[in-house]
Amino acid sequence: MSISSSQVKLAFRIAALIVVVVFLQVGVVSEVPVFGVTVELTPLLAAFVGLLCGSTWGALAGFCIGLFVDLALVQTLGVSSLLFTLIGFWAGRLREVRDPQAALTPLAVGAAASAFALVGLSVIEFLLGVDAPVSLLLLRQIVLGVVVDAIAAMPFWVIVRRALRPSLPQDPRRRRSRRAYSTGGLSPLSRA
Amino acid sequence: MNGKTVRRRRALLIGLVVLSLILLTAYFGESPNGGLHSVQRDFLTVVSPIQDGANTALKPVRSVIGWFGEVLHAKSEVSKLRHERDKLRAERVAEQERTRMDREAVGIADIESKAKLAGYKPVSAEVVFETPSSWYSTVDINKGSSEGIAINDAVYNGEGLVGVVTQVASEAAQVSLITDSEVAVSARIAGTPDWGIVQPKVGDPSHLLLQFLHGKAEVVKGDIVVTSGMINSEAKSLYPAGIPIGTVTSIEESAYTSINIRPAVELHSLDLVRVLTDVPGAKQSRMSSSLASLPAGKGEAALASAPASGYAQAGGGG
Repeated sequence: MSISSSQVKLAFRIAALIVVVVFLQVGVVSEVPVFGVTVELTPLLAAFVGLLCGSTWGALAGFCIGLFVDLALVQTLGVSSLLFTLIGFWAGRLREVRDPQAALTPLAVGAAASAFALVGLSVIEFLLGVDAPVSLLLLRQIVLGVVVDAIAAMPFWVIVRRALRPSLPQDPRRRRSRRAYSTGGLSPLSRA
Repeated sequence: MNGKTVRRRRALLIGLVVLSLILLTAYFGESPNGGLHSVQRDFLTVVSPIQDGANTALKPVRSVIGWFGEVLHAKSEVSKLRHERDKLRAERVAEQERTRMDREAVGIADIESKAKLAGYKPVSAEVVFETPSSWYSTVDINKGSSEGIAINDAVYNGEGLVGVVTQVASEAAQVSLITDSEVAVSARIAGTPDWGIVQPKVGDPSHLLLQFLHGKAEVVKGDIVVTSGMINSEAKSLYPAGIPIGTVTSIEESAYTSINIRPAVELHSLDLVRVLTDVPGAKQSRMSSSLASLPAGKGEAALASAPASGYAQAGGGG
């Protein structure tokens, strides 16, 4: 299996994006509470990489993001990796199988990724025996976190797409000439 | 090709998930000095300077975002604090009002214990209207003839004599204050038998003048002036004896001694007052006892001029 130069470029872009986003998350975003919760950009990044680049890239990026987050925040190694791997893979498969065209797809995907990450983290922490308060407060935090992440998803989607677009692989949907986008354009998700 | 891609994709996913689980299990199971913890610490050591640099570089951004957040938070805080302030202010006002009413009630009870109120039935009333002028001399109260209030009933509060009822309706009455030029009160210096007539001072309706003082008592500044309980040609209302009217502020010696009095009652902030209504049957005996105190021959003249409706018009005396 040979690795093309465009894939190397894409890998570098994703790696750079991961580093920047994680530092941004730790340095700025996590210090600015909105409605009592903070925006979580990392699950959104894993989901959007998957949505733009496919399931393989999504899973790899999710694993790396999770590992980086766990290392940087001195958390239990493997928790975020596991969750973000699944998020990236699921988002990639969504693109490959369903090919969502709606303009609000990033918002829905972001909300779903955020919900999965928050619930998954709570469940894993609970299973690991961490004294997490299973209460209405936790539920409220999760719901608010999903809402806030969904709000942040659209502008963050634009940023991620702009950052990765130059190295994105050929859009598989271009081959689908039967579709409405067959006149030469990409789907709204891939358009700049 | 497709099958191979799918297999590769699945293998990658399974591999990453398994790797994550191994990391998780190993990290969770090992001691804090274990290998993965060491890797994490080393990573943190390497990343910390970068993180610090990034934090410093991003500090202005954080500050700006934080400023907006703080402004929004401050706005909601201001709104909340305003609400609390208004609530506390309302509570304070209510508390002050309660205290004032209690003080008023205590004052009234004190006056009623000292004044000779046998044969009277005091009725509590609230002042509902004051004539909007610094020269006002009447107030309206929220009780009237349905409560037994009649014209010329004496009105007082916890501080002293307020005035006299001059108009009565079913559920309201008008009270002429003691500073009204039409009102005159038979009064005496407390602790002495000397008595005279209290009327508003001409040109200064907020002060009173005790004139036509009969007797040789030494009057000094600060003496208390109270109702005498006597009737005469000027003081047409028979106020019960012993209700405070005011305090002597100065004495003017001329043909008659004129004594300046500062009213005991703050007439510009009246609220709760008591009206002395008559107990049926008590009026005549009171009139008789009052007239009996007059010099011979003058009591009959006073009784003859008194209308059947009440003692208010009782004249004579001196």
